[in-house]
Amino acid sequence: MTYFARKFGFFLATLWAVVTLNFLIPRLQPGDPAEIMVKRMAGKDAALDQAQVEAMRAMLGTPTDSLWHQYISYLGELIHGNFGLSYTYYPFPVTEVIAQAFWWTVVLVTIAQVLSFVGGVVLGAYAAWRRNSRFDSVVTLGSTFLGTLQPFWIGLLLLYVFGYSLGWFPTSGGYEEATPGWNWPFIQEAVSHAFLPALALLIVTPIGWILGMRNTMIMNLGEDYIRLAKAKGLPDRDVALKYAARNALLPSVTGFALALGGVLGGAILVETVFDYPGMGRLMGEAVEQKDYPLLQALMLLTTVGVLLANLVADLLYGVLDPRARRAEG
Amino acid sequence: MTLLDVRDLSVRYEPKASRPLDAVQGVTFSIEPGEFVGLIGESGSGKTTLGTALLRLLQRPGRISGGSIEFNGTDITSLPEDELRSLRWRDLSTVFQSSMNSLNPVVRVEAQFRDAIEQHSSLRGEAVTRRIRELFDMVIIDPKFMSAFPHELSGGMRQRVNLALALALDPKFILLDEPTTGLDVVVQHSILENVRRLQAEQGFAVLFISHDIGTVLDLSDRILVMYAGRIVEDQTAGALLRRPLHPYTKGLLGSYGDPREETVKITYVPGRPPDLSREMTGCSFAPRCPERIERCLETDPPLLPLLGGRAACHVAHLQHEEGGAGPHGEPKRGFEGPQFVKTADESRSALANEVVLSVENVSKVFERRRGFTVTRTEAVSDVSFELRRGEVTALVGQSGSGKSTLAKMITGVETPTEGRIVFHGPDGDKLVSGFKGRALRDYRSNVQMVFQDPYSSINPAKRLGYVLSRPLVNYQGLKGEELRERVKELLERVALTPAERFINRYGYELSGGQRQRVIIAKALAVEPEIIVADEPISSLDVSIRAEILELLNDLVKENDVGILYITHDLLSARMLSDEVIVLNNGKVVEKGPTLGVIRDPKDDYTRTLLDAIPNPF
Ligand SMILES: Nc1ncnc2c1ncn2[C@@H]1O[C@H](COP(=O)(O)OP(=O)(O)O)[C@@H](O)[C@H]1O
Ligand code: SF4
Ligand SMILES: [Mg+2]
Repeated sequence: MTYFARKFGFFLATLWAVVTLNFLIPRLQPGDPAEIMVKRMAGKDAALDQAQVEAMRAMLGTPTDSLWHQYISYLGELIHGNFGLSYTYYPFPVTEVIAQAFWWTVVLVTIAQVLSFVGGVVLGAYAAWRRNSRFDSVVTLGSTFLGTLQPFWIGLLLLYVFGYSLGWFPTSGGYEEATPGWNWPFIQEAVSHAFLPALALLIVTPIGWILGMRNTMIMNLGEDYIRLAKAKGLPDRDVALKYAARNALLPSVTGFALALGGVLGGAILVETVFDYPGMGRLMGEAVEQKDYPLLQALMLLTTVGVLLANLVADLLYGVLDPRARRAEG
Repeated sequence: MTLLDVRDLSVRYEPKASRPLDAVQGVTFSIEPGEFVGLIGESGSGKTTLGTALLRLLQRPGRISGGSIEFNGTDITSLPEDELRSLRWRDLSTVFQSSMNSLNPVVRVEAQFRDAIEQHSSLRGEAVTRRIRELFDMVIIDPKFMSAFPHELSGGMRQRVNLALALALDPKFILLDEPTTGLDVVVQHSILENVRRLQAEQGFAVLFISHDIGTVLDLSDRILVMYAGRIVEDQTAGALLRRPLHPYTKGLLGSYGDPREETVKITYVPGRPPDLSREMTGCSFAPRCPERIERCLETDPPLLPLLGGRAACHVAHLQHEEGGAGPHGEPKRGFEGPQFVKTADESRSALANEVVLSVENVSKVFERRRGFTVTRTEAVSDVSFELRRGEVTALVGQSGSGKSTLAKMITGVETPTEGRIVFHGPDGDKLVSGFKGRALRDYRSNVQMVFQDPYSSINPAKRLGYVLSRPLVNYQGLKGEELRERVKELLERVALTPAERFINRYGYELSGGQRQRVIIAKALAVEPEIIVADEPISSLDVSIRAEILELLNDLVKENDVGILYITHDLLSARMLSDEVIVLNNGKVVEKGPTLGVIRDPKDDYTRTLLDAIPNPF
């Protein structure tokens, strides 16, 4: 049990450190932090844009209070989800802007990641079990080939062929005119818009899982406990699943949790190519527009996502591998 | 009816990257129901390959390339896997070599019994649990460990669990492949006792593979001796001990000495076994054989019946035909090879030498913090002894007795909690625990460690010349021609000759014994006053052990170094050491001249250690 408690404690401590650093860094220099931040992003010589400074100040708080007061009120704002106003979408609060994009990304990328993972691991395991068979060669060579292609390029190709040339799928956006919500027309539109970006992800993402799983599994197949399982006269299926795959899966599961945490990073490219209204595209915009409050909130969100994913990975590993629990316990 | 009948069996490995090799060549033997057969030979002789082939578990690139295996009247040589599956574990089971990894690490032990039992019997649910509990009782393990994960068991327990697993379905035949190699002598002894008792009670047949002839003689009814992929001798254990037929068997027997003798003498077989991937004419043992005659180099001796057993040796057969009176003379009992002799006199004079290290009332307490509780373990408590120049002191005890902690304090890696260690070096007396930085470095050049595992302690990807020049450059600042000369000298010293051939070889190309030599050469590079050798031979073959012991012994005599020899094995302590210190739970329970302690042990624990030495005599 202490293993889990410790991992959770570690998560909380890191989270606190991240949040606090996020507070401290802009305040370390003398002067009005809001102005400094805006200047830094706009370049030294550009004229100060007062709207930007206002947006920044709404987020950073009043510089006249004592640092301690500022910190307390910063934490308070955070807890209430108040990240200030977006400059790009002025005067909408950052939280609202993000909330609109959030589900698009989460649904698209999560579904694509989960499918990629499950498919990749199954293919990789089967290829390893039947190694040197035709199936194995096709899978291995195929993945290696696809792996050499740029994901960006695959996205463009899909967009060109199925979007512009054939016209089977829409080429941008998340939906057309239906009202968002649980109604049939909207769901139809959402699915058809998500199809190509998801396909692009589904072509690129499983490659790592396939090759990784195949390698670990082949390594594990040489282990004594696999030989012993065969010597015990267990059916092939049991040896493959309960002995070989069960062990080979461990590193992949951790990797998967981490990959989910990095969803936002992976989303930028696809969402930009397909002009998909998710957080990835938003991040791209925020960088381009130098929308500091928005960028900062997205960064904080990403960091929390990665930390959470780490926590989940650790906890999962602890559940799946009894050795991990003790090794540090 | 014969239980296992193997005829002319050959196994070939066809690796992608190197030449094919015939690891098993035309092997013929049989095992009767309930018979305990030993299979002995040095590592690489093909024992594991043969065993794996018998169980039809060979993996690529290995395959059965000829001959047949008949089990209980069924030819299983090419039986389809589906039909074989019903024989597996119910009739043929096994405990693997290095079976530390043979349990699935992420599944509880109980489940790994259950799947096998349910696969092959009609037992289900509670009945299976009862059976598992019964099996745990058989191997003397508390059934509460049924719900443990493999890593929660100690090495000895894991091995017992593997044994219990092998017995789960009352098999007719069990293959034991070096089931206790790597464990403490005492643990080994008790597990093998357990095997012997269960075999007597339950009557399964055993093929027991080992490279340790003492244990094999101790346990087996009949012994097969394997050399370079072939069976070279097959006799009952008693006959083999009384009248070995093949010179290789004589060599193996010679590696055992009686530790109680005033002078222990062990012989060893020089050289290495042949490369199996090359064609050979004549007897494959000929290059190492002291009894070799002309014919041996021309024709390969077949394995033929002789004196109730079988032997593959021209000379043995000729001597028998001539009745011992012909040109080939009387059969010899011993092996006329290099000898390693240790006399009691030598020890007496060594113990009068000048002291180089004194350990005075040393204790070491480790504190482990877990949450808010602190557990204190006293790893070493109040230990005192002296090490002399030109002398070997053996530190003997089971794992966990504090040997390695003591070694770490002596090399300055750990600091004693109490007491002191004094080094009487060339610059006067120095307190070991006070060394820091440069002083510690200087001290380390006087005290060298040789570790247990020769495989992990040299970088396999570097040439030996580089490995050996490192300490010379670091500690003595040698370079150029001088450096090269010194490296060659070191290689010659540890008998890696000719040095030119070895200087450019890589670590991974060497055998275990050769690597251990390199490590010793590396230790010698800095001309140390003290060598701490922590189980330097326990991972090596018996015949190679003798060579390494001999090498260490020469170092002591010629260079006046003091060796602290750490081991769990009193027999090897007797061969090498002048004084012995027996440690149990961090305390010295007995101390004295080695021969005296072995002949007349005062402490119960020493007696346990002594009893654990296999005694075929
Ligand atoms: N998987 C393998 N591929 C190629 N050669 C092998 C393989 N396994 C063992 N060998 C070779 O077969 C010979 C016999 O090895 P092994 O059966 O392990 O002997 P032992 O058990 O007596 O130590 C050795 O020369 C070894 O190098
Ligand atoms: S056949 Fe010759 S070389 Fe071979 S073991 Fe016998 S005597 Fe030695
Ligand atoms: Mg072996």
